[in-house]
Amino acid sequence: MHKRTVVWNNSLMFPVVFAILLAVLVMSLIIGCARTENDEKKIIRFITWKPNQPAVWEEIYTLFEAEHPDIRVIREVGPHSSTAFHDLLAQKLKNHSPDVDVFFMDVIWPPEFGSAGWALPLDELFPPREQKNFLNGPILANSYKDNIYGVPLFIDSGMLYYRKDLLKRYGFNPPETWPKMVKQAREIVFEESKRKEMFGFSGQFKQYEGLVCNMMEYILSNGGRILNPQTEKCEIAEKPAVDAVRFVRNEIIGKIAPKGVLTYQEPESIAIFIQGKAVFHRNWPYAWEMSNNPERSKIEGMAGITKLPRFSGNKSYATLGGWQLGISSYSKNREAAWTFVRFLTSEKIQKHLALKAGLAPTRKALYKDTEIIQAYPQFSDMKTVFLTARPRPRTPLYPAVSNVLQRYFHKVISDPTSDIEKEACAASQEIDRIISLQDSAPDNSAVSMTETREELGIETKDAISERTSE
Amino acid sequence: MVMKTKCSSITKERIFAASLLIPCFVFVCIFAFYPILYSFFLSLHRIILGLPSIGQPFIGLENYRELLHDRIALRSLITTFAFVSVSTFFEILFGLIIALVINRHFRGRGLVRAAILVPWAIPTVVSAQMWRFICNDNYGFLNYILFGADISKYRAWLADPFFAFAAIVTADVWKTSSFAALLILAGLQTIPDELYETAKIDGANAWQRFRRITLPLIKPAILIALLFRTIDAFRVFDLVFVMTQGGPADSTNVLQFYGYKKIFAEGFMGYGSTISVLVFITVFVLSLVYIRLIRTRLFTET
Repeated sequence: MHKRTVVWNNSLMFPVVFAILLAVLVMSLIIGCARTENDEKKIIRFITWKPNQPAVWEEIYTLFEAEHPDIRVIREVGPHSSTAFHDLLAQKLKNHSPDVDVFFMDVIWPPEFGSAGWALPLDELFPPREQKNFLNGPILANSYKDNIYGVPLFIDSGMLYYRKDLLKRYGFNPPETWPKMVKQAREIVFEESKRKEMFGFSGQFKQYEGLVCNMMEYILSNGGRILNPQTEKCEIAEKPAVDAVRFVRNEIIGKIAPKGVLTYQEPESIAIFIQGKAVFHRNWPYAWEMSNNPERSKIEGMAGITKLPRFSGNKSYATLGGWQLGISSYSKNREAAWTFVRFLTSEKIQKHLALKAGLAPTRKALYKDTEIIQAYPQFSDMKTVFLTARPRPRTPLYPAVSNVLQRYFHKVISDPTSDIEKEACAASQEIDRIISLQDSAPDNSAVSMTETREELGIETKDAISERTSE
Repeated sequence: MVMKTKCSSITKERIFAASLLIPCFVFVCIFAFYPILYSFFLSLHRIILGLPSIGQPFIGLENYRELLHDRIALRSLITTFAFVSVSTFFEILFGLIIALVINRHFRGRGLVRAAILVPWAIPTVVSAQMWRFICNDNYGFLNYILFGADISKYRAWLADPFFAFAAIVTADVWKTSSFAALLILAGLQTIPDELYETAKIDGANAWQRFRRITLPLIKPAILIALLFRTIDAFRVFDLVFVMTQGGPADSTNVLQFYGYKKIFAEGFMGYGSTISVLVFITVFVLSLVYIRLIRTRLFTET
């Protein structure tokens, strides 16, 4: 082969260098301009997700900017899935990104965000006498060790939605147990599907955080547990838990629920219900507003809401959910950020969110608000559910625990040939191993974790007795 | 020899060449060598983002030992290899067919060539989103063309381990076959027409001309396409992230996605880096094999 010699044409040099210099100049000008704009107004960046009712939130942001003309809120919209949202946020906070001031936190993140130093402790701004105005469950979920890392904005817990009209037509009462729900669903679908497409049930069974929430409700309502708070051992390989998982595989997936639920998060699963294609539906409280919204729902006025079913001989359990607002430790505008958080979690805004978006408030006082109770009579009943709702395991390593659970649940419910006992044992050992990593931490975080868990149990009981004595 | 007399001008040229290469070299150092070395460094430590109080102890090859016993990692390694071999095979096959077609002279060839490159020009995240919609069980196009209005037959493609895997392979093949075609087309165009004419005169039929002339002469191009596609397929991430998130039942949990989960979702920086290093080493070894292959091919051909 011929060896080629590169001939550098000197006449090319000048234009190339000139072009590069020009590019650098333009870039620095753009950056410079952006900087000067920043100086005029305080800008806070809010990491949020795409809400189910965007118009309601738009109103709230407009209101905030009208009340606080010196602060501008730039919203960065993250993914809908809690897991994907966590990954995005964690990546930003891990890199100490200054582009995050305020962020949404799922109910399971405060221990992790607090322990990792990402979320600012809010004790001075949000002292115990303020915390008293909020429901206990969410406050405890926001606390880790001796600090509080978020202000709860709204609370979620699993609820069972059903078609009042269909249940009435076939002479059923809302089911109290899971097997009863399956039986009713089968009977109704058998008759209804002669006329149109009909499924018995829809829920969230995709491999993501929502799967853990759904599965926990079956396991806990069968007397099972994910973690034993005393021994810190995983109990998903125990009989009650395994039986509950087997029930979901044999009776729900691909039976009364379409096989597609294995790919559904909230939006896909509620779509089936509000199109009138499902008898029962498991979702968070916001689904009530959507089911009765004439613009989106074909079953307006036909939806009923009740406690989740249970297995016989056990109690109904709902997974505690909900979203909190946290402030980044790396925020340069803490004051403005706090103004924004205080505004969003105020009674006025929570009431607005409750009335317009159906989000259940975290402030106790609002459960006595006549306007809210009139619009959402079920809220007064839901308060009992909110007070007994069970949190998911509280540990800074929760994401790792959750990933093991998601993988295990999804595998056994989507593959009917898989061996549930074997998979449960393997997952259980894996979770024990993860929890043991935590014990190796020198500050004994595991011990304080147990304490807060016990505290949580006691507090919840107190709250219930408080309510019954009221 | 002539070279010796030009010695000073050659050194000058060398200095000039080096000065041109340095910026590129610095660039590679910052954006390639540094992250690789840093990943390796991280993989020797126990770093858990959720537990800053344990510090960042040096644990030697502990993470690697753990990786050997990690059955999920092993499964995802197998999944990754399956993905790489199946998708690369079809990409090269379709790439070859496309290249042969667009190498022929016909009216509107320019348009067809441009059209074939469209999938390659679409960002993977966008095309993955598109495929996710196509495979959707309720409003997906795939169900519609297969079953029409018969809703009862609609399937949840991405809920089935086999079809979910097939879906990401299809999405990848759809997108990157044109890239393979482009590389093979470049190879095709270096074949002089005279060869074919001579063969025709000698009475060789179309198959013989393809088998004896085309194929041997584009072998280097195919190997290069294979090299690029293998390395690229091994690093598949965006398709899985958008379409399946590794599910159902881990059937699409490729190594890169597993590593991502470990680092960004679970906060196990050290262990996640170990997985990255494993990916790097595998890709590196594969590339070495290919490059060796390409070199020997080139030498035997010329």
